[in-house]
Amino acid sequence: MPDNNTHDSTDRRAETDGGVAGQPGQAHRNTDYLSAEVNLLNPSTQFMRDHLRIVWTGFAIWFVIVFGPVTLTRLAPDVMTTQLPVIGFPLHYFLVATVAPTSALILSFWYSRKRDALDQKYGIEHQTVEETGRGGGDAAATDGGVDE
Amino acid sequence: MTGTANVVLQSGLLPEGLNVSFKLVPAILVLSMLFLFLAIGFVFRVADTENMWVAGRSIGNVENGMAIGANWMSAASYLGMAALIALSGFYGLAFVVGWTTGYFILLIFMAAQLRRFGKYTAPDFVGDRFNSDAARAIAAITTFLIGFVYAIGQARGMGLVGLYIFGDIGLPGLSGYQSMVVFMMAITVGYLTLSGMLGATKNMAVQYTILIIAFIAGLYVVGFTQGYSTVLPQIEYGMLISELGAEFSEPFSSGSYYLWIATCFSLIVGTCGLPHVLVRFYTVESERTARWSTVWGLFFICLLYWSAPAFAAFGTDLYGENVGAVYGDPGMSSAAGDVIVVLAAQLAELPQWFVGLIAAGGIAAAIATVAGLFIAGSSAISHDIYTNIINPDATQRQQILVGRLSIVALGVLTTLAALDPAAPIAALVSYAFSLAGSVLFPMFFLGMWWENTNRQGALAGMLTGLSIWSISMINEVVPTYIGSVEGAFVPALAQWMPAIGSALIAVPIVFAVTIVVSMVTDEPPMETKRVVRQCHSPEPMSQQQTAEDVVTDGGETPADD
Repeated sequence: MPDNNTHDSTDRRAETDGGVAGQPGQAHRNTDYLSAEVNLLNPSTQFMRDHLRIVWTGFAIWFVIVFGPVTLTRLAPDVMTTQLPVIGFPLHYFLVATVAPTSALILSFWYSRKRDALDQKYGIEHQTVEETGRGGGDAAATDGGVDE
Repeated sequence: MTGTANVVLQSGLLPEGLNVSFKLVPAILVLSMLFLFLAIGFVFRVADTENMWVAGRSIGNVENGMAIGANWMSAASYLGMAALIALSGFYGLAFVVGWTTGYFILLIFMAAQLRRFGKYTAPDFVGDRFNSDAARAIAAITTFLIGFVYAIGQARGMGLVGLYIFGDIGLPGLSGYQSMVVFMMAITVGYLTLSGMLGATKNMAVQYTILIIAFIAGLYVVGFTQGYSTVLPQIEYGMLISELGAEFSEPFSSGSYYLWIATCFSLIVGTCGLPHVLVRFYTVESERTARWSTVWGLFFICLLYWSAPAFAAFGTDLYGENVGAVYGDPGMSSAAGDVIVVLAAQLAELPQWFVGLIAAGGIAAAIATVAGLFIAGSSAISHDIYTNIINPDATQRQQILVGRLSIVALGVLTTLAALDPAAPIAALVSYAFSLAGSVLFPMFFLGMWWENTNRQGALAGMLTGLSIWSISMINEVVPTYIGSVEGAFVPALAQWMPAIGSALIAVPIVFAVTIVVSMVTDEPPMETKRVVRQCHSPEPMSQQQTAEDVVTDGGETPADD
């Protein structure tokens, strides 16, 4: 589903200083996220476009890793079941049992790093969650959610 | 899977080759472990709903990761995974892949958004997002059903492993296996009603530690003493594969390519829809923690899933040498398969206390998951149905009472169903995954990522998902309880929409139904759309805030910063 590659923010990626003063930081401050539509296939804010590019890249790699080996095994069983040298696994078994879970773990790590980098690029601080935030509401959650 | 179910009923659920007798040291080990859980549950006992369900939203990265791991690693992972790989070979790997890689989808599409939404339970999301008590009720019933179906597999695991440790305790009128199921479930329910989610979360970190040490130590010791492996059994078992039967590694010998894909897909979407997994993201302090704890959780899960196939290979080889042929007729029964991890250690002639440690790990795994499931199931009843729909003025005391009663009810139902289970552990558990994937996953996914999803769409979608799941379940699982019917009612249906993987068919249909119905009916109110937008905003939120708070508090003056 890579049909959302029509992002217009490619030229802005050059700014790797991660500074708050950069263009993304300004775009973030100028965005009212509550008025921007949420649609997976048609992201409406610069932040979400950047985020979804990471998401879809990861998803595409994930898809190949998960369903690729087993499909290849179906299509070319002889090639895929050859025994690997040294470790002795049949190729398909190794790809599915070891490579797939490991890749998902690496991808998850990669995504979380990317997402943190994105926060930094847009000048978003998570450490100070207590003081920031749009509404001032820590009163609301203490009533056990029975207020409706 | 239909073939194995019949064997189960005939064998009376006594795993062949397992040494069933009372063993003192392992029994002390298990009882002190259970006492430890109760003590932790007591120390962290709770009396208000905030703590009972979301642990005061105070859990950090690694601790939540461990809780995700422990919550996740049920008897199905600890016992059932190795069992399936031993019995069904390459098909069993669909479970390894589905149960690990699904977390990536959960991470990129849902974890942080869920934390920002920040309610108490999975049905809460459905009810509040779609502004409908009917949707909330369907989601709550689904949650309850998932807890029930899933827990049957856990009870079966506890019963089988309990046999090794306590032998046949012989409750009147029940077989050895059945007595053990009753005994273990009574303990689980007892501890759960004392503590809530806070106790459970604290317990889960302890339970994870116990079960992963037991599993990996077991693998290393079995591998080392039997000469299979030295430093890295997770890779070294590769050398053994060519010596095991062709059934162990030959592709598609015990499950077609289609069944493989269907199973794997169902497990992936099920992972992203399981209420007791989703609720773990409500318990963390911030959305960044939600993300990183998923990574930690997946790492902790992978530790076990890299090891399970190795344990299966060792167990299969030992079984073939010491008990009898693994494949063919009669072959290894599914009951023996379900304790292959314990069996491998016993057949390797390791000391009794050590085998007991591995068995105790299996029990810890089962209890941790039953805890998570029953909490999710009981909060669905007490919070979503009782408090939100039946009695909006309920006091906290009443809510907690209803919660505890529903835990007991779930325990009784599960125990009854587990006395004569229809399938091996992993298969039982994957029925719950199909259900979660077919009903809850599309609601969470569309609800979070397409703001125009509305009430009518959600209701139509959920009912469609529930129907499709029920059709395949009735088609395949009901016949195993009726002696006169062989196999499924409609074999063609079972082939293309297997109960174990019905989400492959259900998810696209539910998506289509939800989208089409949402498009032909009115758009959801602006208020709801703003909540969805808030879930995707990168703006940090405070620890106790939910997306709804932000929208209603700060929403009156747009662009206020």
